[in-house]
Amino acid sequence: MRILSFLLLVTAAAAAAAPSAADPQAVLRAIEDNRRGIAARATLTMTVERPDRRTEYVMAIWTDGEDRGLVHVRAPARDAGQAFLRDGDNLWIYNPRLRRTLRLPPSGRSESFLGSDISYSDLSGRDAEHDYTPRVTGDDGTTIVLELLPKPGAPTPYGKVVVRAQSRTYVPLEWLLYDQRDQAVKRITFSAHMRVEQRQFPTRTVVEDLLRAGHRTTVVYTEPRFGPVPDACFTQRALEDGC
Amino acid sequence: MKALVRLAWRNVWRYRRRTVLLVLVVAYAVFSIIFFWGVNDGIIASVQTTQARVVAAPVLVTTAAYRDDPDPEHALPDLSVAAVLERAQHVRAAAMRLEFPALIRSAYRAQSVLARGVQPAEEQAVNAIPTHIVEGRMLRAPGELVLGRGLAERIVVRVGERAVLDTASLSGPQAAGLVVVGLAATGVPIVDDRAVLLHLDDARRLTGVSTATSIALDVPRGQEDAAARAVQPLLPGGLHVSGLSEILGAMKSAMEARRASSLPIALIFAIIAAAAVTSTAVVNVIERTREFGVMAALGLAPARVARLVVIEVVFTTAIGWAAGLVAGYAVVITLANVNAIGALVSSYVGAFANLAFGDQIYTAVRPAYAVYATMTVAIATLLALLIPARRIRSLQPAQAMRIE
Repeated sequence: MRILSFLLLVTAAAAAAAPSAADPQAVLRAIEDNRRGIAARATLTMTVERPDRRTEYVMAIWTDGEDRGLVHVRAPARDAGQAFLRDGDNLWIYNPRLRRTLRLPPSGRSESFLGSDISYSDLSGRDAEHDYTPRVTGDDGTTIVLELLPKPGAPTPYGKVVVRAQSRTYVPLEWLLYDQRDQAVKRITFSAHMRVEQRQFPTRTVVEDLLRAGHRTTVVYTEPRFGPVPDACFTQRALEDGC
Repeated sequence: MKALVRLAWRNVWRYRRRTVLLVLVVAYAVFSIIFFWGVNDGIIASVQTTQARVVAAPVLVTTAAYRDDPDPEHALPDLSVAAVLERAQHVRAAAMRLEFPALIRSAYRAQSVLARGVQPAEEQAVNAIPTHIVEGRMLRAPGELVLGRGLAERIVVRVGERAVLDTASLSGPQAAGLVVVGLAATGVPIVDDRAVLLHLDDARRLTGVSTATSIALDVPRGQEDAAARAVQPLLPGGLHVSGLSEILGAMKSAMEARRASSLPIALIFAIIAAAAVTSTAVVNVIERTREFGVMAALGLAPARVARLVVIEVVFTTAIGWAAGLVAGYAVVITLANVNAIGALVSSYVGAFANLAFGDQIYTAVRPAYAVYATMTVAIATLLALLIPARRIRSLQPAQAMRIE
């Protein structure tokens, strides 16, 4: 009887630790948790590829793992000093030439970040959990596939998102975004995962525009230091002076 | 005198070729003047109508603060004024609107727009966009969007698909995914490339404004400014009513400048028309110098010959004037009902996008055009008579008869 109780306890604990595949919302949350990582500071190298050019940006980034993030551009020299702060739905940009902080209109959230294939909204936030209804469409024991359909009135222009992740660990592997005509328009691939506490954080992300050949952005995290980031890092003062 | 009139009338038809030529020249001059002013005023009226019925509204009620700074935070404090407006003189219908700057985006592109939250049924009474829906239908319920066709093409979104509206609200940034149910094509580029209509409830949810930024009023055409003057005393303090002249703003000055700039052109036009009439009449008389010499030799006094010529020219120009008047008004009345000019210039409409220049252009029809044409022909006829009359009065019959 004691053994049975122990087994039940272990099973319950395991169920609490890893979401059941029957609960797609919990699976999506686990995937998002892995994708976002936890509070951290890191150096981020972003390579923007276009058919006729290739630009590399080096940035310092601070995130609380939720919807707050601060980015300071270090290189190239032309863009060095620019900084971006997101706090929930609010976005600010610091322009070192003007020595001014500008608040971006909310529409700016969906604009391209430094001319890349990434939007400001991609830098932090958990929009997928709010905007989509997930459904598990496949699980072969190695890879679990989720189909995310927009909730009515959700502020997303996509028709669906197909998410691939490792089964059981829910380490994100790929997001495929479709337009409303069932045509894939954007692919986001995650790799080089790093184990942080209970999470598998992807340190390399590649965003491909599937409608325009040669448009690709690669983001690589280096020297990540995980742990709490002070609230002072997500203020306008930190935007101008750094954290 | 009677005999002179009878002789002059007979002469008019005896020299049929010369008469027809002068009649044609006069008729053409009259026709041209009527057509010129009909088209000119028609274009100006088209811009005004487009502005009143498609772009904005015939009359708009807003707060004074919103007029100076059209931000949703300067919305109407309450909507109790709507009931008063519906009973006001000239007012046929009233519709609440909530306009706000937003970004509309699809999976491919995004564009800044001025979104307009409307009451679907009431909006149709004050604005023509709902009647220009060429695909799909007008809004019926919250969660829906009607877009200008050009805008839909630009952001690559079709009827039945979702587009996202992002905006700043009084309570922070907001966004909503709305389904496109209709595409409008008004022929006015600034509308077709930018129009975004959504349900008033959605606009309120997105902006956090519980009232409206304006109330649009429908009034009879041409009564816009009078209606605004009649409505203003009914409004509580802090509210302002704008008639069409105020809504047009700088555009009105531009149109007045355009009409003023047309005056020298019209004057040159009239001078050329008068010169054509004068020269044709003078040549007619000079060619008949020998005939006048014979008349004088037979005993008709030069003064009476001159009077005969005057009567002939008056008869001929009167026929031409009447013909030109009939033809001119027939054409402008026809073009006032058939959109032939709009169809002709529609390919150039884009160049005048900022003037709210639609592809519906009808000529104006005013009695004043007949006055302009009559004055021109009268002056031309007077000029035409001065030279030959003087020449005939000093006519030497023997000398005149030798002229070939």
